[in-house]
Amino acid sequence: MKTGNSVRSKVYKAVSVVILIILALLFLFPLYWIVTGAFKPSTDIYALEPKWLPTQWVTSNFDELFNRRSAPLWELAVPFSRWFTPNHEDLYWSVGPTLPAAFRWLINTVFMSVTALILTCVTAAMAGYALAKKRFRGRAIIFALIVCAMALPKQVVLIPLLKEMDKLRLYDSLWAVILPTVGWPFGVFLMKQFSESIPGEILEAARIDGASELKTFSTIVVPMVKPGIGALAIFTFINSWNDYFMQLVMLARGNISTISLGISTLQNDTTVNMGLLMAGAALASIPIIIVFLIFQKYFTQGITMGAVKG
Amino acid sequence: MKKIRKALAFMTALCIVLSLAACGQPSSENSKAPDPTKGPDPTQQQSEAPSNTAAGEITLWTYPVGNWKDEATVKALTDAFTAETGIKVKVDYLDYTAGDDRVNTALTANNAPDLILEGPERLVANWGANGKMVDLKDMFDDTDMSEINAVNEGIMKACTAPDGAIYEYPLVMTAHCMAVNLNAFKDAGADQYLDLDTHTWTTDDFLLAVDALYKHYNSTVAAVFCLGQGGDQGTRALVNNMYGGTYTNAEHTKYTWNDENNIKALTQLKSMNGIAFDASLDGGKEIAAFYQGTLKMAFCWNIAQQLDPNSAKTGAEKTLSGDDIAFMSFPSQDGTAQLCGGIWGFGIFDNGDAARIEAAKQFIKFMCDSEHTADAVKAANYFAVRTTAEGADLSKIWADDAIMNEYTKLMPFLGDYYQVTTGWAANRTEWWNMLQEVGTGADITEVINAHCDAANAAAG
Amino acid sequence: MANSAKPMSRALQRREDVAGYLFMLPSLVFFVGFVIIPMFICILTSLTSSNMHDPGMFGSFVGLENFIKLWQDDVFKKGLLNTFIIVLVSVPTVCAFSLWVSSAIYKLHNVALSAFRCIFYLPVVTGSVAVTVVWRWMYDNYTGILNTALKSAGIIEQNINWLGSESTALACIIVILFTTSVGQPIVLYVSALGNVDQTLVEAAQVDGATDFQVFWKVKWPQMMPTTLYILVITTINSFQCFALIQLLTQGGPNHATDTVMYYIYYTAFKLTEQAGHFGYANAMGVMLAIFIGILSAIQFRLGREK
Repeated sequence: MKTGNSVRSKVYKAVSVVILIILALLFLFPLYWIVTGAFKPSTDIYALEPKWLPTQWVTSNFDELFNRRSAPLWELAVPFSRWFTPNHEDLYWSVGPTLPAAFRWLINTVFMSVTALILTCVTAAMAGYALAKKRFRGRAIIFALIVCAMALPKQVVLIPLLKEMDKLRLYDSLWAVILPTVGWPFGVFLMKQFSESIPGEILEAARIDGASELKTFSTIVVPMVKPGIGALAIFTFINSWNDYFMQLVMLARGNISTISLGISTLQNDTTVNMGLLMAGAALASIPIIIVFLIFQKYFTQGITMGAVKG
Repeated sequence: MKKIRKALAFMTALCIVLSLAACGQPSSENSKAPDPTKGPDPTQQQSEAPSNTAAGEITLWTYPVGNWKDEATVKALTDAFTAETGIKVKVDYLDYTAGDDRVNTALTANNAPDLILEGPERLVANWGANGKMVDLKDMFDDTDMSEINAVNEGIMKACTAPDGAIYEYPLVMTAHCMAVNLNAFKDAGADQYLDLDTHTWTTDDFLLAVDALYKHYNSTVAAVFCLGQGGDQGTRALVNNMYGGTYTNAEHTKYTWNDENNIKALTQLKSMNGIAFDASLDGGKEIAAFYQGTLKMAFCWNIAQQLDPNSAKTGAEKTLSGDDIAFMSFPSQDGTAQLCGGIWGFGIFDNGDAARIEAAKQFIKFMCDSEHTADAVKAANYFAVRTTAEGADLSKIWADDAIMNEYTKLMPFLGDYYQVTTGWAANRTEWWNMLQEVGTGADITEVINAHCDAANAAAG
Repeated sequence: MANSAKPMSRALQRREDVAGYLFMLPSLVFFVGFVIIPMFICILTSLTSSNMHDPGMFGSFVGLENFIKLWQDDVFKKGLLNTFIIVLVSVPTVCAFSLWVSSAIYKLHNVALSAFRCIFYLPVVTGSVAVTVVWRWMYDNYTGILNTALKSAGIIEQNINWLGSESTALACIIVILFTTSVGQPIVLYVSALGNVDQTLVEAAQVDGATDFQVFWKVKWPQMMPTTLYILVITTINSFQCFALIQLLTQGGPNHATDTVMYYIYYTAFKLTEQAGHFGYANAMGVMLAIFIGILSAIQFRLGREK
């Protein structure tokens, strides 16, 4: 019986590995197609029989992508300067040299994702700790609100948010995308779950030792919930990198466009140039994939530790 | 907390430094690259401009009207304008799929551009009718009117709202047509149905051609595309012309596309094996499929496409594989079609700032009625809407271009500009939704009535 | 917590209040400012005939008219149905699939394990906009690889218009959503399986439990928190399919891929001539919020019980 079992499990294992490899190839395919497609001449791209590799590796798609639109490398606006200028326009204290707009889109996207990540992690870590460990009044209501709002798609408040951004004079700036991302309460929920696992005795001990609240938070709580912060950082970063909707609604100028938005306009053009699209898709995905592969270990570790605590 | 703040400050700094440093290197190489096409002067001008007050700078959003979607082309024009007036122009480019939404979101957020380049269906019938646009009537004197009317009396009519306000200053026009793959037609023996001299054909010829092509290729040869509104002038003109159907009434107050001639046309199209109602294509994707050679006819076509099929820069009048493309009028019973027109020009959004409106008007004057108009028109790859602009003759700007000259044969077929009927935007969605339902086999009469009624209801 | 059971003294309670709210403050600013207040405005405007061309925030008060109209609107009902289909199909399949993949790979050699983990994570990092570029081509009616492959394998004879026919379009969207959703759950399950208490597993095996029994009776309960977390993030993910729909089908054909999220956007910025379209879109938002609130509450309850 024992041997039968192990033979069966060996067969099962072999079969499952084969299936896994097939699946893995399927999952790899889109990326493979983007990367090779970006270097294909248009005769290959539009060929009726799919060409698995470019018959000739060309960079013309990238040339076209880079020559299509240009934008200043940086355009540093005085934050919230729209409140003070007579026509409510941004006041720039530095505008960089012009280069292909695609780079600017990348920079914008990085800025947006990183800022959203930092703000989310800081605010959520503090709030999560408070919700888990502080017995303040009104806590239950706030938590209930957070749970209910957690899965809300942003389309729900699309119009009010748009009008609010107009009133705050933030419409058509990256802040209009960043701030609502930070406001989304999933992060708080996640950090609360993490903070639950902090033993009350340690906090108690710290208080008896006379440590201030802030000191307790920064020296005891933060190190203990670090994996959670990591998980949240990854989640936020990828979500804002891949977000499309908020950017579509909130951003109008080409100069503050993001990479998702930029590629989608290539896709929506009156005529569809597949090669150009592939080049754009490659530009959008390769940098983040490289980042992912470098930080792969932290990605997986961060996400992992978080969930187990539940 | 301190640690966090420190970390925060550090990361922010790092982020900024990285984004500057990482991209600072390519900039030194790239800063040269975009420049050589232009002289150094306009750039110089631009870098001085920021010290100006707000009226020294205006924003322009362009829909992809011919090459007005091409940054290098537009920049040459705006640089010339800046050089002459000192007014800087910030240009952003819209597409037809999400462009309307973006203008609408910008309007909702009180952030509309100063200038917009599009046609009367948006400028007059939509944003103009809703009080978002500036009346440009004071920009037209009698000379302007007669110069424009000498080309076509319908132009100013289309740009004028029912109350007499003019919301669009027209720049270029064209007639939308269809295209056929000549090599495919020859292979299938269907070229006998084409009159390549007049570029016209009758409905019977068209039907025979589709059948011949289908018999030869045994696959879809043309698609009634209905993914969205993009390029819908093609499907409208096809259905209307086959049996002489109408789209709106003559007064442009009511949609009449549920008339029986259109039902007959849709029934006919639906019954044909060679024609698919394809909800995965819109005009642009149809052009791509035609260019690629899978479709043998394209219903979304005009002179800009003829000059540069699929905007792929692989040669005029040729598909990807080098097949010849012929432009054709839409088939009708007697061979004389009513073609949908495009009349593109500038409108000014009323942002409540007189200085900016004034600057925008200067821009319009510069592009549409000055010695620079020829360049602005040529940039679009379409035809001028006026005979002369401030003494400069515009009637011969395409004289040395054989394709443009050949295309003028279609211009007399330019039909009624009905796109200014109230409720146009809502009507368009009803139209392609109707086509989708017809495509999935719903009862045609029922569906077309329901959607046409809905369009009329939305128009109020 | 020991101290939470005891009633706190007044001074202590006050201290907790102050500290609690100070810690909450930064987060609350964003949460209230960009979720609660807009939601509140959304509820208010859903009762009005507000539209794009009115300068103010609110139109005239129309009571529950928008909601009544909503339940007579076939497109909305279809959108609601599609939204539920997407969630109900994608959440369980994502969970089941990632559980299977993780149990198949977690014992593999380290290199193989991280290779598989990365590969399944790739569509997530590639981004939905970039991914749609490829999928559009794969689904293409005329030259797409799916039709080419199926035809050469003899499974189909005529090209299938994957994105253009009512019967397949929604499934196509769900498939793409699926590939962009399984990455994170797989990573999570792999580590959860690795963290299962081995002594319990061994004890069960000594008692003669089959692999299957070990899995369900011993490992599965220990992975419950992970599963719940996965349920939550997958649900959130399923609501984020806007880009796929906007870029691939625009809700068509015949509203086969319309979701409430897309229809809100569509009503707000495409049907601008419909009277009171902002109010109407907001009413949809309110309905969606109610449904999602209920869904989240149920999930949370389930989580509490475990």
